[in-house]
Amino acid sequence: MRFMGTSAIQADQLRKTYTTTRGLIRRERKDHIALRGVDLDIQRGELFGLLGPNGAGKTTIVKILTTLLLPTSGVARILGLDVVNQAWAIRKRIGFVFGGERGLYWRLSGLDNLRYFADLYRIPPDVSRRRIGELLETLDLKGREHDKVEGYSRGMKQRLHLARGLLNQPEVLFLDEPTIGLDPVGGRELRGLVRRLSNEGTTVFLTTHYMLEADEICDRIAVIKKGEIVAQGTPSSIKTGAEDQGVVEFEIEGLPAQRIEALRQLPAVATVIVEERELAQVITIHCSRPGELAASLGSLLDGMQVRNVSVREPTLEDAYVLLVSN
Amino acid sequence: MTAYVRAAARAFEMSMKLRAVNPFTNFGWLVFPLIFVVLGLALLGGGGKSAYAILGGGLLGYWGMAYVEGGNEIQNERWSGTLEQIMGCPTPLVVIVVGKLCSSLVFGALSFFPAIAVGYFAFHQSVQNIDPVPFAVSFLVLTFAFFCMAVTLAPLYAMWRWAFSVTNGFEIGVYVLGGFMFPISQLPAWLQVVASVFAPTWAVRALYAATGQPFGRQYALWWAVSIALSCGYLVIGWFLYRLVDVRARATGQLALA
Amino acid sequence: MNTLRIFFRTCWFQYRAMFNWATPIGYLSYKFLQPIGQILFFTELGIFATGRSNALYFALGNALQLTAINGIFGVVMSVGNERQFGTLPILLGSPANRLVTFLGRAFVHVIDGIAGVAVGLALALVMFQIDLSHANLGLLAICVCIISLSTAGLGLMFGSLSLIMRDVFVIANGVYYLLLVFCGINIPVSRLPEWAQLISTGLPLTRGVQATREVVSGAGLAQVSGLLAGELAIGLVYALIGYSMFRWLEHQARRGGLQEAY
Ligand SMILES: Nc1ncnc2c1ncn2[C@@H]1O[C@H](COP(=O)(O)OP(=O)(O)OP(=O)(O)O)[C@@H](O)[C@H]1O
Ligand SMILES: [Mg+2]
Repeated sequence: MRFMGTSAIQADQLRKTYTTTRGLIRRERKDHIALRGVDLDIQRGELFGLLGPNGAGKTTIVKILTTLLLPTSGVARILGLDVVNQAWAIRKRIGFVFGGERGLYWRLSGLDNLRYFADLYRIPPDVSRRRIGELLETLDLKGREHDKVEGYSRGMKQRLHLARGLLNQPEVLFLDEPTIGLDPVGGRELRGLVRRLSNEGTTVFLTTHYMLEADEICDRIAVIKKGEIVAQGTPSSIKTGAEDQGVVEFEIEGLPAQRIEALRQLPAVATVIVEERELAQVITIHCSRPGELAASLGSLLDGMQVRNVSVREPTLEDAYVLLVSN
Repeated sequence: MTAYVRAAARAFEMSMKLRAVNPFTNFGWLVFPLIFVVLGLALLGGGGKSAYAILGGGLLGYWGMAYVEGGNEIQNERWSGTLEQIMGCPTPLVVIVVGKLCSSLVFGALSFFPAIAVGYFAFHQSVQNIDPVPFAVSFLVLTFAFFCMAVTLAPLYAMWRWAFSVTNGFEIGVYVLGGFMFPISQLPAWLQVVASVFAPTWAVRALYAATGQPFGRQYALWWAVSIALSCGYLVIGWFLYRLVDVRARATGQLALA
Repeated sequence: MNTLRIFFRTCWFQYRAMFNWATPIGYLSYKFLQPIGQILFFTELGIFATGRSNALYFALGNALQLTAINGIFGVVMSVGNERQFGTLPILLGSPANRLVTFLGRAFVHVIDGIAGVAVGLALALVMFQIDLSHANLGLLAICVCIISLSTAGLGLMFGSLSLIMRDVFVIANGVYYLLLVFCGINIPVSRLPEWAQLISTGLPLTRGVQATREVVSGAGLAQVSGLLAGELAIGLVYALIGYSMFRWLEHQARRGGLQEAY
């Protein structure tokens, strides 16, 4: 891959192998390959989402890109700077937020937390005072900044984390599962904020489990599975990757179990979900070429009353399920 | 440079605030020396060795604070999940450690108050014949030695999770080697050799000498050896801090509690 | 049968947790470095105070007191961690026999504590040439086991406390060092002021250490059986207090009264 000057984040064949040892007497070394050659090229100002199941390697990528972890091999550059050798220059210009409640001094106030990190980011005092005030305002922490963090709700802690990550007005912001544990409203607010930051020119690299979240705000996404990127592109192009995938839903009364099994055996069918309602069952089938399946339902279920047949477009979630399963 | 001083000062302030409400800290400078002074005086009180009990209790608290608490700082960062964040910011770890250590030295120095108080009020014993100038200088040299050791050890805690439990297990052993409550001259010869590469030992010897012995040339020698050893630790520390930035990032253990 | 299984399962988990607690190196350092330091420090302090002829007194006392590392810290940690890791509600919600899970937590530390004293005695033997030639070694072993049990009893009490209080570790730390003062480890109980002697009688270790000292200088079972029985009884009392507190806490928690315990 040729690195171009305009990219915010570039990775070329990133690999990471964790070595763990266990055992007291016979020390066993175990290698665990977390990344198997990851390529990325993210432009400045882009809002990039990384999706993947648990343990796929998302956090590992973020840690490497934020200079906290060294890759086993491969090259990564942030703003043209090498993550291994130019970590110091990078650290000044990026921000990172890891999801969850850890990573704050719980026994101190939110303001103390921010002041501390402002000094660690070597922000001049007058700038940092103004900046902290603004951030408390934007992140809706005003009025609670003197309270100890241990008394904050999860959402407040998450917003405080974000405030910390934004202290140095980072050019590139890394967010590892930023909406984890937030309620729907809190999640939406956070997404709005991230979108706004991106519009103002910040490059954002975000990982998430929530497809809707990625679909809603990301310019481009990548799906990672077992340390490999299996798809990359705009949300709509990923969806077209699952083009002939779709979902057929219908209601039916008293479908016997062996019929359901027969449905499952059809070559085009991926999953069959049966939901019992009062008088009927709602059947949801994930399959390829849903149109054909819907058309032939009548003959497949010979003569049973099939109601409310609907064929859905694949959502990003469908595309995702398809990508990370099999 | 001023940015680093500011960062260290802020780390100091944060650490002071955290310590003030930390029961372990308050145990360490208040209760811990007290127990040892009582033990020391019960054993040594009669024979004119009470200086060793009273100052010794204070030294134990001071050292414990600088050494264990200094390490605890890193361990606490690990537990609260902030170690990763301070490693990921553009301020070198050593700057933060220095700020935090200054606060543990402040709390550590407080240890002498309960030590002297319990000696005076409960046992009617106090440290006599202090020669103020050599005593004060010895104390400063000792502080420098504690500081250098703790600064040097800190990166080990960031690199290896087990480093803290090792040094922690060694805490009482250091009381022996430092000659905190009895002169090291009574130890087996090989232990005396080990003790002699230990910077605080020399400063402690000067400190006790200043509670009775006349001032003389030997003080300069003790101070010089202590300072030289301390500086030696700093050189080692310099390499360790360079190593930690690579090691900790390679193993990915920063985030693990 | 099932009870026995739960007991051993709990023990096994505790054992695993103990090793994982701080990696093998951490475990070894706490098993060897701390004992060496403690025995060396107090024995040398004793030598400085009273002369080399008394080294045995201090070396033996401190070797025995090492069991309190397990009895107090180990047990408090294994009960108290439950709270830190938020697994207490799961434990309280499980149908397992309370007494069995409770004691299972301490049992491993009793064994480990015995090992700790063995290490301590070996070190004292090497460093200060303790003379065990008059001792009935079987009886000595019994003494060590009983001391280990009784300190674990005290640990169970603090462990239960730790479920309600946040910083019991600090108190446990203090108790550990207070045992050095009050239990005839470094200062003969008879030389303590009267009020302090009263405290001594209520603590584990006091009788056990005295019995062990007598055994080392040649006493037989008949001479120390009273002391050993007393030691065991004290440990039992603390364990019972601990267990009642544990049950009480469980009761309160179920009534929703002790939210902050989680
Ligand atoms: N410090 C470590 N030591 C050993 N293995 C590790 C370490 N950190 C992560 N791993 C392993 O590397 C793999 C990738 O982990 P990673 O945390 O990057 O996944 P993730 O995609 O962020 O998962 P999640 O969605 O659960 O956060 C996992 O199998 C994990 O067990
Ligand atoms: Mg992750």
